[in-house]
This record gives sequence, structure tokens and C-alpha cells, in this order.
Amino acid sequence: MPATAPSSRLSPRIGLKQIALAIVILALSAFVLYAAVRETGKQPSAAPSAGAAFSAGLAMGEHSRLRALTPEEEAYAAALWPIHSEVKLAAMRMTFAGLNYKIEHQDPAKVKSTVQPLTEAFQSAVRRTGGLQPPESLQDAHATYLDALGLYAEAAREMIKIADDGRDQHLVAAHERSERASHALLQLSDVLWPGEYKPN
Amino acid sequence: MKVWEVVKGAALAGAAVAATMAAPSTFAQQYSVWLVENSRFMNVPYGAFMPDRAFVPGSTSKFNNINLIDIPVNVGVIKGMVNGKLEVVLADAGWKQQDYLKMTGSAHWAALPDQLKLLGISADQVTKIVVGHGHWDHAGSLSDFPNAVLYISKKELDGIQWAINYPHPRISATNISPGGCARTPACGYPPKTLDEVYGKVLGGKAVIVEGEHQVLPGIRIYPAYHSHTAGAQLLAVDTGSSVGTLVFGSDTYSSWQGIRDWMMANPQSSADTAQQFLAYEMCYKLTNNNIGNCISAHEPTSYTKDYPITSNSWVGINGSRMAEITLAPGESSKKK
Repeated sequence: MPATAPSSRLSPRIGLKQIALAIVILALSAFVLYAAVRETGKQPSAAPSAGAAFSAGLAMGEHSRLRALTPEEEAYAAALWPIHSEVKLAAMRMTFAGLNYKIEHQDPAKVKSTVQPLTEAFQSAVRRTGGLQPPESLQDAHATYLDALGLYAEAAREMIKIADDGRDQHLVAAHERSERASHALLQLSDVLWPGEYKPN
Repeated sequence: MKVWEVVKGAALAGAAVAATMAAPSTFAQQYSVWLVENSRFMNVPYGAFMPDRAFVPGSTSKFNNINLIDIPVNVGVIKGMVNGKLEVVLADAGWKQQDYLKMTGSAHWAALPDQLKLLGISADQVTKIVVGHGHWDHAGSLSDFPNAVLYISKKELDGIQWAINYPHPRISATNISPGGCARTPACGYPPKTLDEVYGKVLGGKAVIVEGEHQVLPGIRIYPAYHSHTAGAQLLAVDTGSSVGTLVFGSDTYSSWQGIRDWMMANPQSSADTAQQFLAYEMCYKLTNNNIGNCISAHEPTSYTKDYPITSNSWVGINGSRMAEITLAPGESSKKK
């Protein structure tokens, strides 16, 4: 009868199952330890600023945590508001110039006569907005708003070209610029005038 | 001769019977219909939504003992085969511009195309969108549906244009102050929303509706001017099933309880209470007094047993809800 080694009688048999279980337990323990360290060390993040909100493209839930505007930001928002009100009306009138052309009169000359004054309105808005002094936190937003006004002015100039050759393509090109501008307006509104639009 | 008369009479009688049997039923088309919650306005004072439901502290009246409500933005989805072609019609088109989230205290927003995927519908399968009116939360996702033809009323466009060109700044204003639009006639139509409508017109995918208009067999637009906005319109859908006719009322039917209890809801300066009540009456007539079939855009009890037509519901993306109203033969349930 072969002798049985004392160690093989005393030590338990360690199979693959036991090794796998040990690995899983170790991994779970490491995870729990990591989570505990992370949570106890976690500091609540400060609410993002208006400028950060504008340029960072915040995720859905973060919008509700925006901090209030500073006095300088409020002053800028108040100064821009009358310009913004006029720009919105001018943008809507420009859209209707195109709508009426397509739906009603198909008269390129009427498009020109309606849109020409709006070109001047947008250019006036560019000059007046350019004269504002935004706080540093809103420099990006200010630049974007000026770009939007520039896009509206470009859209208006493009629309008027239909009077030269009657091609609808001018309206399509103008619309593309107008859409980009109106999107930028909304982005800024979200930051500067959070009460601008209400549930309808 | 007598025999001939008898034979002739029998032949004529037989032909009459055959003709009657061959006559088509009044309406054979069948549609599947769902309701989808595109987003929810949270914590809205009840009195701002329905003046007759204003909160009175300590009141025991069920009409005045609720302070704040959450209001869904509901979109109707109607699907059916018409002359061998798949038709998917949306009643209103929700919104998608994320900038509105904080402004309007919204939550549970989900992109409408993603919500339609849960119903087995892709965005490019949507063939028609009938907007009850052009406010930002009802005509905001038009560009997400490239093949859809927009149906919007001429009166709606005329109403907006009248307002923005009116020679008084308080009437032409889209907002009277940064704090809100105070429901001016042009309020609720941001330039971005008008651009959505214009994009459809420029693309040759718009029908400018004047008065009543048949969209598809069994699907008909009825004008409800000044019941919410200048060019508000209703969409009646004869489902061809035991459910009967549904009437999607957009914001004219902002509150289903308002229709039931004859209370105005969601007042606007472009609206007239009398016109809203006449539109309620229209639903009673179109549904043969089965007002449970009046589909509201913002009813707070949507997707619960308290609004029975919407009670077959489940939770979808980001906590938004959906309800199955009726299924055409061959359509499987999408309820989770």
C-alpha cells in the first residue's frame, strides 16, 4: 500500500470552482472599497455659471442647477433684452416673407420689399450689440449672439436675391442660416432669460 | 305575359337585394392609435392651467384642493394601411430644443423619433403631421420627420402674422418682458418654431388647411378657430373599431376634465372661451356623447385610470409614458 503524504491528508483540495469564487469575492471587495473611498471623499460640485452653461452644452439635469446671474451678467442681459425683442420680431417677419411668397403671392419683388428693411434692422442690431460690454463670463455668449445676428443679416441679403433671378434656392439658403441663428438665440435665452418661454 | 311580368319582377327584386348586399359599410378602414408623452411640465399651479381649479387653501372641494399639477405634452400616433400604403399620422409634433427644459420646468422629455421606435415606427415612416396649432411645444419636432407632410391651418399663420405686425408693442410682442410672454397673441411662437414650419413649406411638404379637410379615409380636420389660438383645429379619427371616433384636440382640449366639467383650460389672448366651449361641444357631437374619446394634449390625469381612454399605459424612455388606445387587426401590442 503506497504511503499517503501527510500534506495531502491535511490540506483541503482546491479546485477551479474555489479559485473562481475567491476571485469573485476579491473583485467585489475591491469594488466596495473603491466605492466607499470615492463616496466619502466626494464633494458636491458647484452649480455651473451662466457662461459655463452657454459654452458647455449642459446635460439635461444640469440646467436646473444653474446659479443665479451675477449683477454684471444681469446688467448685460437687461441691456441686450430690447435688442433681442426687436431681433425676434424681425426674424419672424423675415420667415413670413418667405412663407407668404410660397403660399400666397409668388412675387419676388414683394419678398424684396418686405425683407429689405429687415436687413437694416439686423445690421442695426449688430451695431448696438457690438457696443455692449459683456462681463468676461459671457464673452462667448456675446460672440455667439453677434454671430447669430450676422447670420440673420446674411439670410435677409440672400432672400432679397430672389428678386434678381426668381430662384427658390435663395430662400432655402436663407432658411438654413436663419435656422442656425434662431437656434443660437434659444441657447442664449436659456442662460440669460430663463423665464422667456413658458408652457403653452 | 303574366309569367314574364312575374319573372321581370323577381329579377328586379333580386337585383335590388344584390345591390344592397354589395353596398360598402359606412367605414371599413381601421387604425391603430397610441398616445405618447413627449415631455411633462412639472409643478404648474392648477389655477394657471384652469382658472376654475385654482387652489384654495383648506378647501374640501375636489375642484379647488389641488395646488400644483404635472402636465404632459401628449402626441397622438395613428397608423394604418390605406390603399396598400402604410400611413402614420401624428396629431401634433411635440418639441426637441433642449433649451426649453429649464425655461419651462420640464422633465421626462424624450425625443419623439425614439419614442416612436418603441411602437415599431421609424421617423421616416411618418407620412403626415397634423398640428392642432403652432405653439413651440406642438410644432417643435417637424424637421425630425423628413417624409411627413405638415397640415397647419392658414388662420394660424394669419393670426401670428397679424400679431407680429400690429402697430402696438404690447400686442406685437413675443414677450413683454424677460420674465415671460404674458400670453400675448405672438407668444409661444419662437423664431425656431416658425423655422420648423417654414422648412416644411419650403420643402414642398405642407398643406395649408382652410376649414374642414379630409386627411385620409376616416381622418378629418375640423376648424376650431380661436378656441386656443387663431387657427386651432381638431383632428377626428374614426378608428373603425369598437373604440369609435377619437377627437384629438391639441390645446383646445388642454384638459379632458375641462371638457367633462365644462371649464375653460389654458387661456390665451388669442382665444375666446365661447369658442373653446363650442369646440368641446364638437367633441360631444363627433363622439356621439362618448367624451371619453376626446383626446387632450395636456390632461394631468393622462396615463392613469382617471382618464380611462389613456389608462392602458406603460412607462417608456426617461420616465415618459405611452398608452395603447386601439389596435388594428394584425397589429401587435407594444405595451411593456
